[in-house]
Amino acid sequence: MQHLADVEVYSVRTLREALELLSSVKGLRVIAGGTDLIVQLKTGVVPKTNLLDVSRVDELRYVRFEDGILRIGALTTFMEIYRSELVRRHAPLLAEAAFTVGSFQIMNKGTIGGNIVNASPAADSLPPLYALNAELKIVGPRGERFVRIQDFYKGYKKLDLMADELVAEVRIRPPGEGYVGHFFKHGLRRGDAIAVVNGAVLLRLSPEGIVRDARVALGAVAPTVVRSPSSERVLVGSRLSPEVMWRAAEAVVNDISPIDDVRGSAAYRRELSVNYVFMTLYRIARETGVVA
Amino acid sequence: MTAQRAVGAPVARRDAFEKAVGAAKYASDLFLDDMLWVAVLRSKYPHARIRRIDTSKAESHPNVVAVFTHRDVPVNRYGLFKKDRPVLCDDKVRYIGDPIALVAAETREDALEALKLIEVDYEPLPPVTDPIEAMRPDAPKVHDDGNICREVHLRLGDVDGAFARADVIVENTYRTGAQIHAYLETEAGISYMEDGKIVVVAGGQSPYRDRAEIAHALNLPEEMIRVVTPYVGGAFGGKDDITVQIHLALVTWKTGRPARLVWSREESMMAGTKRHPAIIKIRTAATRDGTILANKIEIVLDKGAYTALGPAVLDVAVENCNGPYRVQASQIDAYLVYTNNMVASAFRGFGAPQVIFAIERQMDLLAKKLGMDPLELRLKNALRKGDRYVFGNVLEGSVGIAQCLEVARSHPLWRSRGRNSCEWPWLRRGVGVAAAMKGYTIGALPDKGVVALELLRDGRVLVKGSFTEIGQGVIQAVAQIAADLLGVSVDDVEVVFADTEVTPDTSVTSASRQLFLAGNAVREAVEALRERVAELEGRLSGRRPARVEFSGGWVFIDSERRYSLQELARLLESTGLGRQVLGVYEVPRVEPLPGTLEIPHLFYMFGVTLAEVLVNLLTGEVTVSKVVSIVDAGRVINPITFTGQVEGAVAQGIGFALMEDAKIRDGYLLTRDLSTYLIPSSKDVPEIEVIPVETEEAEGPFGAKGIGEIGIISVAPAILNAVADATGVEPNAIPLTHERLYWLLKEHGLVEQLRRAST
Amino acid sequence: MYGLKFPHSARTREIRFVLNGSETSVRVPPGYTLLETLRYVLRMTGTKEGCARGDCGECTVLVDGVPVHACLTLMSQVEGRSVLTVEGIDRQHRLIRAFVEEGAVQCGHCTPGIVVAAYHLLSQVPRPTEEQVREALRGNLCRCTGYVKIIRAVLKAGEA
Repeated sequence: MQHLADVEVYSVRTLREALELLSSVKGLRVIAGGTDLIVQLKTGVVPKTNLLDVSRVDELRYVRFEDGILRIGALTTFMEIYRSELVRRHAPLLAEAAFTVGSFQIMNKGTIGGNIVNASPAADSLPPLYALNAELKIVGPRGERFVRIQDFYKGYKKLDLMADELVAEVRIRPPGEGYVGHFFKHGLRRGDAIAVVNGAVLLRLSPEGIVRDARVALGAVAPTVVRSPSSERVLVGSRLSPEVMWRAAEAVVNDISPIDDVRGSAAYRRELSVNYVFMTLYRIARETGVVA
Repeated sequence: MTAQRAVGAPVARRDAFEKAVGAAKYASDLFLDDMLWVAVLRSKYPHARIRRIDTSKAESHPNVVAVFTHRDVPVNRYGLFKKDRPVLCDDKVRYIGDPIALVAAETREDALEALKLIEVDYEPLPPVTDPIEAMRPDAPKVHDDGNICREVHLRLGDVDGAFARADVIVENTYRTGAQIHAYLETEAGISYMEDGKIVVVAGGQSPYRDRAEIAHALNLPEEMIRVVTPYVGGAFGGKDDITVQIHLALVTWKTGRPARLVWSREESMMAGTKRHPAIIKIRTAATRDGTILANKIEIVLDKGAYTALGPAVLDVAVENCNGPYRVQASQIDAYLVYTNNMVASAFRGFGAPQVIFAIERQMDLLAKKLGMDPLELRLKNALRKGDRYVFGNVLEGSVGIAQCLEVARSHPLWRSRGRNSCEWPWLRRGVGVAAAMKGYTIGALPDKGVVALELLRDGRVLVKGSFTEIGQGVIQAVAQIAADLLGVSVDDVEVVFADTEVTPDTSVTSASRQLFLAGNAVREAVEALRERVAELEGRLSGRRPARVEFSGGWVFIDSERRYSLQELARLLESTGLGRQVLGVYEVPRVEPLPGTLEIPHLFYMFGVTLAEVLVNLLTGEVTVSKVVSIVDAGRVINPITFTGQVEGAVAQGIGFALMEDAKIRDGYLLTRDLSTYLIPSSKDVPEIEVIPVETEEAEGPFGAKGIGEIGIISVAPAILNAVADATGVEPNAIPLTHERLYWLLKEHGLVEQLRRAST
Repeated sequence: MYGLKFPHSARTREIRFVLNGSETSVRVPPGYTLLETLRYVLRMTGTKEGCARGDCGECTVLVDGVPVHACLTLMSQVEGRSVLTVEGIDRQHRLIRAFVEEGAVQCGHCTPGIVVAAYHLLSQVPRPTEEQVREALRGNLCRCTGYVKIIRAVLKAGEA
């Protein structure tokens, strides 16, 4: 166990102050909610370093819908996201996922920006963001830039983020009419549990039950969250029959590379990925009246 | 002259309020000015020789007051059955939690930093972590005298004859895992010097026994040590052995300063004891009509690195492995085997959950083979009061198993068996039953408890005993018993507990028998008080009264005279007879069966669990949707604490059955926190219906019997029997994690079948 | 402040916040958690430590009115905010009474954290359903009760 009594913590109130400190003080690590980082510091997973506490930068805590885009400030907590009418309306997948991020205590403190930057492949917010083609607004001394969530991750915990930059906002363009989808998560307990596998399936169905668009994202089965183009290809243009659902589900194995860890073997994760995609497709099909 | 009837009433617990508002003090809540913070260096290896320990750098770290190693311990071995456990390791380390050195520092942080500066030169040795391998003669030796800590071999009745005339024989092997207690308060305590004595205030279960262990290790007279056990944040057997006590006493004794040692959660997971993992092979002989003739049973318990309470756990496993049935013959071979895994010792059920899991799965498999209803098979063979059990002992105490099974048979949940429609095509519903038994008291081992009863000057009553309040509610129950015996309101009974300086030795709080023991000792104390009143009356009137009765706050003498208890207190004091009496209760027992320590018991608990599950064929997840726990409860002293005990036991049983998977690889614990070692949450424990079957335990106080452990014992087999009912797959190992069950389902083609059915 | 000594390497600063309604100022390392400050510095031990890593919920407190883990809250994050611990809840509150009467307390170590979490739930949802109670408490582990009486107590307090 490490203690943090000798750590310097810089507390800031504005984004500007935060960026200034990040540029001027070397080796700072940004702490938002801290629900992951404090544990990682105490257990030595992350080396002890001085901290930049941005938890009070209130300008980054908001949910807005402007110009047809859902904008979520990076410091918005999962409880706020879960409760947001705007999120429920424009990105219900994300609201579903937000409700499963740990306990209520974690939901009250953990932020979407923190979850994104912590970059756990099992992060519950990420599969919906992948399925929704979310974009991140990144700010730094050189101004702001936008990066697609898929492009933000370069490998296991490798980010397209410079030491003097911050993730400021998550942007989601609502997929539009006719989309239905669900988040799924397999934990080893019904209460608070980290995902063995999680994911999101988002479909656009024609009135005849033909899949017009399909987005399948999976977490905890690769160094980063992944989309499954193989599965999506099977779905698009097909009628959502059990046979198609199984074929689409099985196709996900082409796009994942799970590993063994304390929560489950790679082989089990592969099976769960297939079976959860099937169950989620089946659920969507039943909800839309495609199957009884 | 009936008493107030506190017994049987759902009286709110006296400790609940102060606990709910956060005012109750646990050992981990105590801080003393000028105290030292103690941290423990633990072994990095599951098995290694220690060549050298260099503490010099740690000693010169700022704020470090002292560093202690084995060289500082006067008698460096402790343990309840065998003194084989080092206070601080000297020659070897034998598991990953083994303590090597203590740092005492002015600050917590400096103590932690100094730990990293202690240099230990290890010579890693090959670990042995599989008990079956450990039994081989060429296996690495955990202790010099070999890896078999203890073995029991019993041949009861004509086993060969039974197998020769059997119509069916069923044989299976069962496995259970290393369940971790995971009490919410980790092992914790403080220590200080007072009046020349070392005082240790720590979470524990038995202050007198802890005192004896400390005294032995420090080579001091017991009178020099005082042990106090405040409210304990959960124990379940995990605080039956020494945890922080000797380390704390050592630091205070050597430095003269107060000290505090609280284990981190990770430390608790590694260095705390576990439930013994078990491998149990059962071969059952039965006739076509379902009469069980004999069981051949082999039990191997993984002891981990040190003996602890293992020998008694082995005995309990042996005693209960035939289940609550009229088995005519049995051959039992049981082994307690050292490994370099973490130490196993007491955990609620104490060997019974393992063997009952095995025999109760075996009963369902036998029923299946016979084509019988599993509940009818159990009922047909169920023990009855007066039966001779397989060890030759006649069951003279209450035996409520048949009544429990009858309640189960007519319960709507059991009757709904087979009605299995589910919301989704991948779900399957099942209902399972399992029976339980376990001896309570410590059986053939001698067991005596004392309580003191003091009449206070204001007429209230003070009961003093060394029983510990580990959450079970014994203090409340003792107060209720004393209230009724003395005819006072329960609010007029004060209870002081668990302090070797103040309370007499009420023996250990374990084995579901503290209420039985303390309650009977209170009864004896009331008898002693009656006797003293008679003596008083003899002195005052020159005539010994024939009858002394307590009622309504009065003592009535031969229905002629009465004194208020306040007046009685005054009279007892003024005549020099004294206001305090002792009650001594010695638990009845028989001599142990040759080759055993505590078999048989005179008193047994019984129960039946019904469980309803939903199995997801595509994930292996088992959701327990309803549990009914039917308990042969004797007389219930307090229905709230009674059902609370059973509900909590059921929840632990659900964890044991499905979820609590201590992953141990080559002696290393991989699940060292509560995010990887999962215990049931509010969403994992379903509705629990507790049904007491009130039999009468004639020897128990007001007919009460032990109930603390019975609720857990048949939960796991009931759940697995339900899984088998739901899926047709027969899982025989727990915890039945999602992944384990998934592969079984897949192996049996259920996943493929589902797929074919849906396309 | 009972003279808690900080380690030789410590950096400390003055942190002001409102604790159970009172302006409070402590000089602590900003990297100390709220839990460390409550228990070790202020010796307010109603808030328990069960795991110190956000897995058990024992140290649940309200910060600016929402339940969080005190063990995962740095003092820098508390600065200028308002903290409510179990000691700040009215002892006559119907929730406390329900916990006592329903037998929701056994060893009691998890109880303060659960009381705080349930107190918050009732402030948001005065008459919660059983499912809402189970969800709100899903991060508060209890090893003694099997949750049955805890849930009953919260529901009962919600009916009052």
